[in-house]
Amino acid sequence: MLHFIIVGILVIVMAILTYLGLTGIGLLPVQASAQAIPIDWMFNYQVIAISFLFALIVVPLVYSLIVFRRKKGDTTDAEHIEGNTTLEITWTVIPLFVVIVFAFMGAKSLGDTRRVDPQAMVINVTAQQFAFSFEYPDYGFTSKELYAPVNKQLLLKMTSRDVIHSFWVPEFRVKQDIVPGRFTEYRITPILEGVYKVRCAEVCGGGHAGMRSSVEIVSQERFDNWVKEKQAEALAASQTPEERGQLLATSYGCFGCHSVDGSLLPNGGPSWLGLFGSQVELEDGSTVLVDEAYIIQSVMDPASQVVKGFSPMTFNGTDAGLTDAELADIIAYIMTLK
Amino acid sequence: MKKFFKSALARGLLWQLVGTLVGGGFVTGIRAVMGLEALGRFGFSEPAWVFGGLIGTLTFLGGSGVVSDWVKWARGIPTHDHHEDPPGWEKFINVSLDHKVIGIQYTLTALIVLGLGGTFALIFRTELAASGLQFLNGSQYNTMVGLHGIVMIVAILLGIAGMMNYLVPLLIGAADMAFPRLNAFSYWITIPAAIWLVSSLFLGGFDTGWTGYPPLSARAPVGMQMFFLAVFVVGWSSILGGLNLLVSVARMRAKGMTSFRLPIFVWASIATSLISLTATQLIGLSFQMVMFQRLFGMGFFDPAKGGNPVLFQHLFWFYSHPAVYVFILPGLGIISELLPVFVRKPLFGYRWVAMSSLGIALVGFLVWAHHMFTSGMNEYLRVPFMYSTLLVAVPTGVKFFSWVATIWGGKIETPTPMLFVLGGVVVFLLGGLSGPPNATVSTDLHLHDTYFIVGHFHDTMFGGFVFPFFAALYYWFPKATGRRMNEFLGKVHFWLMTPSFLVLTLGMMRIGLLGMRRRISDYDAALGFDTTHLVLTVAGFLIFTSVLVFVYNLFRSMKKGEIATGNLWNSRSPEWQVDSPIPAHNYAQPFEVVGEPYDYGLPGSKFVEFAKPKP
Amino acid sequence: MAHTNQSEALRLGITIFIFLALLTALEFVVALALNSIPLLVVVALVKAGLVMYYYMHIYKLQQESGGGHDSYEYKTGTNRLGLWLFLLSDSFVFGGLLVSRFNLLGFTRPHLSQVLGLVVTVVLLVSSFFMNRAETQMAHGNKKGFLGNTLVTILLGAGFVIGVVGVEWQLAAAEGIRASSMVDGGIFYMMTGMHAFHVLTGVLFLWIVYRNARKDVYSAEKHWGVEAATVYWHFVDVVWIFFYPALYLIGSVA
Ligand code: HEA
Ligand code: HEA
Ligand code: HEC
Ligand code: CUA
Ligand SMILES: [Cu+2]
Repeated sequence: MLHFIIVGILVIVMAILTYLGLTGIGLLPVQASAQAIPIDWMFNYQVIAISFLFALIVVPLVYSLIVFRRKKGDTTDAEHIEGNTTLEITWTVIPLFVVIVFAFMGAKSLGDTRRVDPQAMVINVTAQQFAFSFEYPDYGFTSKELYAPVNKQLLLKMTSRDVIHSFWVPEFRVKQDIVPGRFTEYRITPILEGVYKVRCAEVCGGGHAGMRSSVEIVSQERFDNWVKEKQAEALAASQTPEERGQLLATSYGCFGCHSVDGSLLPNGGPSWLGLFGSQVELEDGSTVLVDEAYIIQSVMDPASQVVKGFSPMTFNGTDAGLTDAELADIIAYIMTLK
Repeated sequence: MKKFFKSALARGLLWQLVGTLVGGGFVTGIRAVMGLEALGRFGFSEPAWVFGGLIGTLTFLGGSGVVSDWVKWARGIPTHDHHEDPPGWEKFINVSLDHKVIGIQYTLTALIVLGLGGTFALIFRTELAASGLQFLNGSQYNTMVGLHGIVMIVAILLGIAGMMNYLVPLLIGAADMAFPRLNAFSYWITIPAAIWLVSSLFLGGFDTGWTGYPPLSARAPVGMQMFFLAVFVVGWSSILGGLNLLVSVARMRAKGMTSFRLPIFVWASIATSLISLTATQLIGLSFQMVMFQRLFGMGFFDPAKGGNPVLFQHLFWFYSHPAVYVFILPGLGIISELLPVFVRKPLFGYRWVAMSSLGIALVGFLVWAHHMFTSGMNEYLRVPFMYSTLLVAVPTGVKFFSWVATIWGGKIETPTPMLFVLGGVVVFLLGGLSGPPNATVSTDLHLHDTYFIVGHFHDTMFGGFVFPFFAALYYWFPKATGRRMNEFLGKVHFWLMTPSFLVLTLGMMRIGLLGMRRRISDYDAALGFDTTHLVLTVAGFLIFTSVLVFVYNLFRSMKKGEIATGNLWNSRSPEWQVDSPIPAHNYAQPFEVVGEPYDYGLPGSKFVEFAKPKP
Repeated sequence: MAHTNQSEALRLGITIFIFLALLTALEFVVALALNSIPLLVVVALVKAGLVMYYYMHIYKLQQESGGGHDSYEYKTGTNRLGLWLFLLSDSFVFGGLLVSRFNLLGFTRPHLSQVLGLVVTVVLLVSSFFMNRAETQMAHGNKKGFLGNTLVTILLGAGFVIGVVGVEWQLAAAEGIRASSMVDGGIFYMMTGMHAFHVLTGVLFLWIVYRNARKDVYSAEKHWGVEAATVYWHFVDVVWIFFYPALYLIGSVA
């Protein structure tokens, strides 16, 4: 009996210490969305349960190891106890009850994260190897980063141009895959201003690690200003081919692999800085002059000309449905990068 | 050396090479005639590699001679029931029909494959030791991770097959498995598979991870196909192995061995085999569908052709979730089998523990979609799958509580096998307890595809397989060799491996919660994970070192180990009632079951009684 | 079966065959007239049940096999269990294909030749009938009867493969249903292809048994090889009992 009392006390002490230790070190990133609140609420109970159950098993185990160790020279067996049906039923029924309660709580917190605000701002997200682009249908422009006002529900309608990607901002907690051929929805209400990052959470190829974009949550006022700026930009861009080209290159995700400042991106291609008019050496040793024809060929049929030292471009203009006019704009833009 | 070149293994490998070249050449020829591109980036074109691989696998089987008896039967020629094995080590690289030899073949192969998987882990762990790209690019990194994952999984499948093959016929008092030739076949077919798996490394790799989700896997290099082919072939080994085991247990038990007198490991093997027999077909099918999509343009998972990428995930996880219980049930069986021996008390609640294995296996069939909570599958599926998944905690809990009750009040000794049993219990507990947060949809939205999951499954697989596997090796080594392994080195192995491993997985879980994604070659330095990752890498190297100590101990003890031919652990189990090592056709005298398997502490009771030798 | 007399056993085979034929006709009519999916499922289940019980003798799994563990009888019992477990395993592949078919195509079906579909179905059904006769005759030591009926089965089996792969595939391709076109093509070729592959292995198996029987390897008491080939052959038929409605009857043409 004494053994049981000691172990009981130790289990409780150990459980409390484990719980305090775990929560003390701060397990999760900051809470930046309304959806994070029910999720973290759920996490808290999970941590309590884990701390308790861990103590419940490990404490008696370690205690037995110390207290019931075989004494030196003792060669007899221990007491013959075959089992106890009441006990077995107890430790079947109680966990059964516990998991049902947990599943119920889980369903409730899931429901809370999915609460719909009919006023939500719609943003269309397109993912592709290895970039996101965000279209604001209400305002008529597309952006490389997600910019949004605080305390307002966003409804992201997401689809992919190629393989499966996943949208995840750790500070928002929620994660949702982006699947080609269908639209998935992601509702989030940011509650904390700041700069975060959306990180692609589903392996999508060699550049998966680098697939991230900035997410900026700002006041309504700053957001309105940003919208104005962007709209002006889009307008201007629609006037010259070069600027249209830049927008197109953004939306097709070229900048996921090509920089415009001379640097090389991980798993990407050559920088576009100073590309036009230069001589490049190809895989087969020949050199060519970068002119319009060469770029068209490189983009529409990437396997045909591979630059030395790179693996063939996995983006394929023909597959992506790039039109000749669009490509002409992009080339005009590339020509400005001297 | 000469013996090696004359072995079945060497012949098989040679024929595999020939078959691959012929098969590949054949397709290449046809393509050339049809005016298609005959050669690809890796010599053969993709269809030629796949077809060559298939033919190579078949010629391996023909060349090594595992199918010779069947060919004779088909031609109406009778064969001997038994084959005599050569003495000495050559029997391990030749086709043997003895379940003990096959068990050891499986086990040694499992260790080699484990070492391979561990090496891949260390390579990419080194890359992760600091942020920034060191020496692997993204695709190479992903290939390493995927190969590490699948190679380790194959190591587990081989390891459990090894344990089940060696132990189950001995435990039930059979002379061999029900189908010895099928048994040999199941083992030998894994060799070409292992070769194809590794070959994918040289054929462009595959950047999808071990799960191979399309559409990405429909675009990956040829290596992807070799990966699919290999898993497909290993799947057949698993299916046929499970079949063989179930039939053996149903038909070959000793007299008096009723259902509730079966040693607990046999129960675990039954539960495992039920899963491998049935569910495995679905991973084969899902992989076959992607292979055909690539080869013939069939649109199963291609949205542009009306296909559905999420369907693949359903088919894949319908196997791959139950498979995780295949990985652990034999290990948990080992734990339940060894605990009574080292605490000298009956297994607490034998029937409950036996039935919980079946419970886990059966409920395990109903939970697969918990890997897909964020996948965009139908929303209404999420909550029911949360309930079913959490339900698995109940039978697993029964095992844990029964183990604690077994230990409580026992007279505990802790030689090396027992240490690994206890380590397994604690580590598996950590893994199990990190399961419910993943199973709860709302928290999984955060956890999915992070290092928290990675921590979860390393704990479950190490605790449920690696620790019990080592326990079994230390425990039954004397049975197989007549010598015991060195205790001191065993303890070094344990005390080096366990703390390093805890650091490894707890560290994974920590950074996972904070935002570390899976399968990334490089992480944002701004996240501040550099130090933790460095520690994880060091921990990985320490685990590797500890296993090297084990391997040294293993080989040393074969020659120099202390002689131990008797009932070393003072166990009640039938195989320990006779001298070690056991001769070719097992028990010279059949035994009859006359008592309960785990009645330790009941004076005068016996589990089995051997028939008197005929004068 | 060894105890009933031969003609009685053969008559039972004929009766079951008539039932199966009527059910197939019913199935066809139901599909055309009512298009009732539950009814089609029920008919398929009844057909499969009949084949499994009367042609595959699933009840033999329960039979106590006398003799020691080394006797031929006991070993046959062991083999039988192994074979059935194999079939259980294999049916998961076909189940997976059915699931994929309904997931991807829903209640639409590819545009296929109804006549040809019915013809090959009947061919396979008739082959099962002859297989049953062959096995019964072997069990009664009638070697000649066995050889003749097996040969017919083999020919019908080959006819089925030719009908599906040689004719139906070409017709479908001409209609624009190609493996690489839309996904209904993919599913159609995958399902029929996997099934035809099993028919081919079945034919091979039968041919092996046929040859061995000519060499007098089997006797009325010891013919596990024949039983195995028979059960496998009927299993292939059972699969088609489900694939036929899934491909040809259920749903509306896309
Ligand atoms: C051996 C392998 C193994 C085992 C045994 C388990 C066991 C469990 N796993 Fe795990 N799992 C994996 C291997 C394993 N898993 C792998 C490999 C993956 C990743 C695959 C990939 O994507 O690559 C994975 C991923 C994975 C996911 C998907 C996560 C994601 O990707 O988003 C989920 C979600 O539900 C999950 C849940 C569980 C649960 C609930 C259990 C339960 O069975 C655990 C039950 C045990 C306990 C709970 C502890 C003991 C019980 C008690 C002490 C009783 C009282 C307890 C309660 C009342 C809670 N696992
Ligand atoms: C049994 C299964 C198993 C085992 C034992 C391990 C062992 C290890 N794993 Fe692995 N791991 C997986 C299964 C396993 N893993 C799976 C399934 C994945 C998912 C893959 C995916 O995402 O696709 C994964 C993924 C995975 C990741 C995530 C990668 C990513 O997502 O980017 C990491 C990261 O640290 C990791 C690390 C390690 C380390 C350091 C070890 C160390 O413990 C390794 C230490 C070495 C050994 C244990 C072997 C030593 C053996 C010898 C020395 C024997 C020599 C013997 C002879 C020659 C006879 N693993
Ligand atoms: C997935 C990564 C990726 C994306 C996205 C991508 N590229 Fe590339 N690109 C590469 C790589 C790698 C190379 C070098 C290999 C080659 O030449 O094929 C390359 C090469 C090129 C070249 C030849 C450059 C030279 O130095 O000769 C051009 C032009 C080009 N890309 C244009 C584009 C355009 C336009 C887009 C978007 C519409 C784009 N790329 C999107 C990876 C990418
Ligand atoms: Cu996109 Cu990973
Ligand atoms: Cu799972």
